[in-house]
Amino acid sequence: MTISFILNGEDVSANTRSVDRLSDILRERFGLLGVRSDCRCGRCGRCLVFLNGRLVPSCIVPAFAAKGKEIITIEGYALTEDYIDITEGFKDAGVATCGFCDASKIMATAALLEHTPRPSPEQILDQLSSAPCRCTDPEAVVKAVQAVAERRSKRLYHRAL
Amino acid sequence: MRSSNVHFPKDLAEALDVLHRQPGILIFAGGTDILREQGGRGIALPEDVLYVRDLPELRRAGLTERFLEIGAAVTVSELLELGNAALPPLLSETAYGIGSSAIRNLATVGGNIACRSRFMDLWPVLACLDALVELRDQGGATWMNVNRLVSENGKPAFPEGGLLTRVRVPIEHWDAYLVRKVGLSDYPAPETALFSFAARAEKGILVELRIAFAGELAIRSQALESGIIGRSLPLSQRECAQFAESYRELASALSEGLALQFVALVGGAFELLAR
Amino acid sequence: MVYVATVRSPIARGSVRTIRFPRLPAGYRSILPADIPGRNRIVSFGAEVPILAQDRVSYAGESVALVAGPDPAILEEIIATTKVDCDEEEPYLAWESFSSDQIAAKRVAVVGDPDLAFSIASQVHAEVYTSGSIEHYYSEPQGAAAAYDYDKIAVWCATQWPFHVRDSVALALGCREEEVSVRPTRLGIHLDGKLWYPSLLACQAAVASIACGRPAKILLTREEDFRFSPKRARSSVSLRAALGPTGELSAMDVRIAVNVGAYGPLADEILSQAVLACTGIYSCPNLRVEGYAVTTNTPPMGAFGGLGASHSLFAIESHANRMANALGEDPADWKSHNILRKGSPLLTGEPLKEEPPYDEIFKRLAAASDYRRKYAGYELVRKRRAGRSDGPLRGIGLAFAYQGAGPFLSGEASNSYTVEATLDKDLRLRILTSAAGGAGRVIDVWRRSAANILGVGMDNVTIATPDTDQVPDSGPNTLSRNVSVINRLVERACEAVQKRRFRDPLPITARSVYRVPKPIKWAEGQVSGLPFDTAAWAGTVLELELDPWTLEPRPLGIWLCVDAGHVADPERAAAALRSSAVDALGACIVERFEPAGGGEEATMAARAAYFRYGLLPLRALPPISVEFLEPGKRAPVKGIGELPFDTLPAAFLSALSQAADTAFSSLPVSNAHLLGSLGTP
Repeated sequence: MTISFILNGEDVSANTRSVDRLSDILRERFGLLGVRSDCRCGRCGRCLVFLNGRLVPSCIVPAFAAKGKEIITIEGYALTEDYIDITEGFKDAGVATCGFCDASKIMATAALLEHTPRPSPEQILDQLSSAPCRCTDPEAVVKAVQAVAERRSKRLYHRAL
Repeated sequence: MRSSNVHFPKDLAEALDVLHRQPGILIFAGGTDILREQGGRGIALPEDVLYVRDLPELRRAGLTERFLEIGAAVTVSELLELGNAALPPLLSETAYGIGSSAIRNLATVGGNIACRSRFMDLWPVLACLDALVELRDQGGATWMNVNRLVSENGKPAFPEGGLLTRVRVPIEHWDAYLVRKVGLSDYPAPETALFSFAARAEKGILVELRIAFAGELAIRSQALESGIIGRSLPLSQRECAQFAESYRELASALSEGLALQFVALVGGAFELLAR
Repeated sequence: MVYVATVRSPIARGSVRTIRFPRLPAGYRSILPADIPGRNRIVSFGAEVPILAQDRVSYAGESVALVAGPDPAILEEIIATTKVDCDEEEPYLAWESFSSDQIAAKRVAVVGDPDLAFSIASQVHAEVYTSGSIEHYYSEPQGAAAAYDYDKIAVWCATQWPFHVRDSVALALGCREEEVSVRPTRLGIHLDGKLWYPSLLACQAAVASIACGRPAKILLTREEDFRFSPKRARSSVSLRAALGPTGELSAMDVRIAVNVGAYGPLADEILSQAVLACTGIYSCPNLRVEGYAVTTNTPPMGAFGGLGASHSLFAIESHANRMANALGEDPADWKSHNILRKGSPLLTGEPLKEEPPYDEIFKRLAAASDYRRKYAGYELVRKRRAGRSDGPLRGIGLAFAYQGAGPFLSGEASNSYTVEATLDKDLRLRILTSAAGGAGRVIDVWRRSAANILGVGMDNVTIATPDTDQVPDSGPNTLSRNVSVINRLVERACEAVQKRRFRDPLPITARSVYRVPKPIKWAEGQVSGLPFDTAAWAGTVLELELDPWTLEPRPLGIWLCVDAGHVADPERAAAALRSSAVDALGACIVERFEPAGGGEEATMAARAAYFRYGLLPLRALPPISVEFLEPGKRAPVKGIGELPFDTLPAAFLSALSQAADTAFSSLPVSNAHLLGSLGTP
């Protein structure tokens, strides 16, 4: 089947089997290697994308479920100012990651701050459980997301002035 | 891995028409249960799939005077976004504990209830709340209490044919409640289950009591509940022990570990009524 | 480029009769053992692992053939329809008692006269402690790629040991080592699971590349990685301890069995580490220890956050807590009476060079966690409790351990490492070491050391990309060598450059070679040598309660205090310890699975275990506090990454035992076992 959707702001189509995984389509048809397709059961968090504004594990989204939807991957998100808030905020907080889970942590943080600009530590930890990794220090991750929230809030405030 | 024929009905009427013509078709909304243990490169689905996630009639949720009404394709996240004012606290607490936030963005309320391999987290809470589910086919609609979605031997018995379209949760006030997940894992496994308890009192008398527990098997006894309703509150320690003991036999169908946990939870629930 | 997929044995033990491939489309080919141009083996610590099993298979899932082609989706279909016909034999799955032909390694050491000590002991306490398998749960599943690069074969993989990959690929291809160039990719958190296994995948990729005449990439799926790559070995440590009249430890009789799976590629080292750590932090004048690495027909098992010491440290700390309990003593006091002191002989006879700062560590822990009061309080409740519902079910556990940095202890591997430093005419320093790939933030420690020695800015110090044809062999990246051994080699190389700097023209290159001063030697019941260059000391307190309703363990707090020597970046070091503590806690509570034998039922169980396996959700974590002791004036940098794995499990087990009033001796404690012990209220 041919599925059409909006990918990182552009109208695209892919000729694919209805039962292909969205993560594989994004990687193999569109070269978006920031999306991994590892666990294929929605647990490891390496395939997180925004689907109609919601963070989902794309490895358990079949191609047909992407039809007509808007999808943003880490590559698309990386072009936003919010992305800079997150990467700089993590840097400001001095948080080191293993390098493999960065995209997942960024997407999870982005999704959280979209709906909850000032999340509590509990909300942060719950959200970042979508991006599990052996390198995660819970204290550092709370500090990092709070730094991001602070940074983002200042930027939006200045923009509003 | 072959491709599946996927039907994208534009409305409920069209969906029911497809269902009528292909009664055994796989109904797919969020797919989190269907796909959680596939793991291969392609997804293995039957030849025909009915995709209902985008049906407008299944995506609505809201409060009426007497009910909270939730469309079957509403996601768990969307359910939580209705807010604490709309959701009974035991429902929101349970929904918050389902999977990760990413999974909650895909998993639907209907999919959670209609799982055939085991009871997922929402069932025991909805059973406790005496929620109703609407099943529709071309012939019409039937409302069914979720407590009837259980076979005689305690296993899931979601009826074949028909489409789960709405869930109705009666709006009631509860004076005491308790929900607890057991099994040391956020992933469905033989040792995982959810316990749900709710109670209401009027003028110092227990007028409503609901206890449900479900994982691979479901437990609820309205007969035991009726036998306890009408007692004066607070319950005495002796009454708590006696009532907890009466549930022990009910737990005999469970594994030893789950049975112990169930009885401990029942005891804990009654202790809330002893305060 | 071609992708490479693996045809695997369906049986755990037996012989392969035929492999029946489906009709392969154009551009796809199979690769069999006969296609390996050199030796069909990789060698790791004396053990040999086939690259592709030929004739005999030793575990379900073992690679028996490869298929290569341009489309991974088609490869998956080919694999699914390939049939491996075997003659199945009864697999060896038992390991706590075993037959002699299952022994991959044996280590025996006797110190003093344990028989005499036991004969005059006031008390004897015996128990068997077992710990289960843990999955590394890497962020990225393992894989490798290979391609011709002019006159060399270039290999890319994430590895802790680039030169092991190089030598393995050279052996497999039958070429000279100089003809292989290994270009390590990002390693991430390795938890000691990428010591030898990447070499196997690299050989498979290289063989496929040669066979197909194209670049080749093999990438395990996450499920394959979970089911077939090495996991933490399971262990059983039987401890029998003799106590004197005042409760002092007078003798121990220890028997260790480690299930190393098939082939046992790290068997020697894991066992050596476990044996040398069997008395933990305690002085034990009389000891008999017998250790066995036992092969079974399960995937090769290996290391996890340490190379074997944690098995023993878990056992001895749990036993110390148990014995203290039996004596009616606070474990903190028993430990203090029995701990090694400066000058105490280690198991090898070498004297301990520094005073373990136990008293200071415990003082800090006790203050932070309120350990004394809680321990006494929970003991009182435990002893007086009438039933399960009578009072809170709480416990607090204390465990203490050391982490040694430096040499391998098996005596098998070469313990000679080299680092090179070059100062050029623009006063830019380049450091060359194969350890750079896995060094992470430790690279900044090297750069800072180098900059300080040479009086240049840190921006002028670069670390060369650790391709094996560019850098010297600095050994495997394990046992905290990056902060200890490699750091010292960097310093020495820079000091050598500095000495020559104003007398010799630039550029100047200096090499620094490390040789283990007193290598460990095993011979006939004796072991000699220095087991570590430096040791970091740590204590952990863990408090938990059993949820009164679900009866499940709920950690309330974790406190770590570490003597880490000189810590360049305390915040980062604390963050690393906290994340390791989370991993160690997860292994106590939710991470559990049993490596499977062969056959359909075992395969289904293995797949179910894969889907269910997950890390502890972050919201379930208790507060974790980390404190460092102030370092002495010339304190070295010490390796500390393993300490949570060495201490937390025993602290958890003791706390759980106190809360449940049951002496548990295995981790993980299954829910069924815990609930069964709690019984009816």
